[in-house]
Amino acid sequence: MAVSLTHLEKSYQDPSGKSFRVLGPIDLRIETGEFLCLLGPTGCGKTTLLRILSGLEQADSGKVSLGAGRFGYVFQQGALFPWMNVESNVMFPLKAKGMTGSECRSRAAEMLNHVGLYGFSKSFPHELSGGMQQRTALARGLVTEPELLLLDEPFASLDTRTGINLQEMLRAICGRLSTTVIYVTHSIEEAVYLADRIVVMGHSPGRIVRNESLNLKWPRSRLSSEFTEILLSFRQTFEKLVDPSATLSS
Amino acid sequence: MGGRVPSGRFTVDSWQKVRNLLPGFIIPALILIVWFFFSGSTLLPAPDLVIRILLHPSEDLLSCGSLLWNTGVSLIRVLLGLSIAILLGTPLGFMMGASQRFRQFTSVITELARPLSPIALLPLSIIIFKDTSFTEVLGLNHLKYTRHILNELQIGMVFILAWGGIFPVILETMHGVRGVRKVYIEAARVLGAGKLFIFKHVLLPASLPDIFAGYRMAVGRCWMVIIAAEMLPGTNSGIGYLLRYSYQLSRLDVMLACIFIIALIGLIFSRGLELAGEKWLLLRARER
Ligand SMILES: Nc1ncnc2c1ncn2[C@@H]1O[C@H](COP(=O)(O)OP(=O)(O)O)[C@@H](O)[C@H]1O
Ligand SMILES: [Mg+2]
Repeated sequence: MAVSLTHLEKSYQDPSGKSFRVLGPIDLRIETGEFLCLLGPTGCGKTTLLRILSGLEQADSGKVSLGAGRFGYVFQQGALFPWMNVESNVMFPLKAKGMTGSECRSRAAEMLNHVGLYGFSKSFPHELSGGMQQRTALARGLVTEPELLLLDEPFASLDTRTGINLQEMLRAICGRLSTTVIYVTHSIEEAVYLADRIVVMGHSPGRIVRNESLNLKWPRSRLSSEFTEILLSFRQTFEKLVDPSATLSS
Repeated sequence: MGGRVPSGRFTVDSWQKVRNLLPGFIIPALILIVWFFFSGSTLLPAPDLVIRILLHPSEDLLSCGSLLWNTGVSLIRVLLGLSIAILLGTPLGFMMGASQRFRQFTSVITELARPLSPIALLPLSIIIFKDTSFTEVLGLNHLKYTRHILNELQIGMVFILAWGGIFPVILETMHGVRGVRKVYIEAARVLGAGKLFIFKHVLLPASLPDIFAGYRMAVGRCWMVIIAAEMLPGTNSGIGYLLRYSYQLSRLDVMLACIFIIALIGLIFSRGLELAGEKWLLLRARER
C-alpha cells in the first residue's frame, strides 16, 4: 500500500499551556512493498507520526493518504493484553474483524509458527521472556496479513542478540507477504540492517533531514565494508542532529 | 513452562499448607479450654450446650424457627439485596468510569450518599415501605399466613441492603474502568476493534479484578448490615433477630451459637470469594 504525507503539521501544548510544534511540515512518500526505516533521536516526533498515520491522533494540517487496506501496528512494548493467552492475543485482530472459530485459530497458529512460538499458544504474556512477548506482538500485528505494517521501536527493550534475531525474522516475513513497512527506530545499526530506505528525522520541530535508499544487497552482513561505510555516514548525520556545533567543525 | 506444578508435588504442598495453618489454631483452642473450665462459675453456658445447638441446626429454637431457617432467611435477604446492588451498581460504575460527563453529573450525589450508613436509613425505609414483603408485591396473598420465605423478604430490608452494597460496587467498578491502561485501548483500536468489541474484550476483562473486589466488599458490608438491621425493630426472623431474642430471654447458649454462625458465614464469604476470584476468573493473569 502506498502512503503519502503532504505538508503534515502537528503541535502539542506543554504543561504551561503553550503550544509547541512537534512535527512538520513533513512531506514523505512510501511505495508499495517498501521497507522504510524512520530514524531519529528520542523526542523528535517519530511516535507522533505513526499515531497520526494510524488514526490515533489527528494532524493539525496537511494530508495523509493511505490506501483503504488493512494495516497492522506493533507498539514500543507492553501492549499485549495480559489477561489473554498468546493465542487469544494473536486472534484479537481477526475476531475484531468478525472472523470466527477454527479459521481464526488456524491462522493464529500459522503466524505463531512463523515467529517461532510454536507450542506457546496457551501461555500468558507474563510467563514469557521479553523477546517472546515481542514475537507475540509481531504475530498479532501480522496475523491479518496487513498491507501496511507500522512498528514503533519494537525491539528497543531487548538485548542485542535477541533484537538481531527478531530483525532477521521480521524482514523474512514481511518479504514473503510483500508488506509495506514503516519501522521506527533510534538505532542507526538497526536501520541500516533492515531498511530499503532510511528517512532521518531531526527534532524541534520533527522534520526530515535525510532521505536515502540503500543499495545493500541481501543477505546483509554487519561486518562488510559497505555496511560499515553507510553506517558511518548516517552516524555523521545523526551526530550533527544531536550536537549542532558539529556542523561548524566539519 | 514455569509455574506449572507437577501433580505429584501437590500432596506435599497441601501438607505444607496444613502445617502452616496449625499454629493459628493454638489460640482458639486455648480459648475453648479456658471457656470449658470457667463456664460453671460464670454466666457463660458450657461449650457442649452450644455445640449441641450447632449440631442440631434444624431444631426449633425459642419458638422462632430453627437455626437453619433463620440463617437461610438472612442469607436470602442478603442475596437479594446484593443482586440488586450488583445489577444496578455495575453498569452505573461502568458509565461513571467511562464517561467524564456522567461522572461529573453523579459525583456529588454519590459522595453525599456513600458515607451514610444503611442502618441510619432503616427507620425511614420502614416508614416508606411499611413491612411490605415480596408476598404482597407479587400478589401471592394465600401465602401470607404460612411460613414461607417470601413473607420474610421485606422491601425495606432489601432496600437498605442494596444501599449498603451498591457503593462499593459502583466505586470499585469506576476505579477499575478508569484504571485500564490507555495503551490497551489504543492497541485494540489500531488492531481494528470497534467500540462494543473493545468494551467486551478489553474494558471488561481489564477491570474485572477491581469489579470483583467491589463485589467482595459489598458482600461483607451486606452481611454486617443485615445482622444489625435484624436486631432492630421491624423484623421477626433472621439470625440477627434470633440473636437479639436470645438476649431478651437470657439464653446465652443460643446467642453464642448465633455468633458462631455469623462469624462462620462472614469467613466463608470473604475467603470463599477470594479463592473463587483467583481460581475461576484467572485474576492472576494480570500479573506482569
Ligand atoms: N500527548 C502529548 N502531549 C504533549 N506533548 C506530547 C504528547 N505526546 C508527545 N509529546 C511530545 O512530543 C514530542 C515528540 O514525542 P514522540 O513522538 O513520542 O517522540 P519519539 O517517538 O520520536 O521519541 C516530545 O517532546 C513529547 O514530549
Ligand atoms: Mg517514541
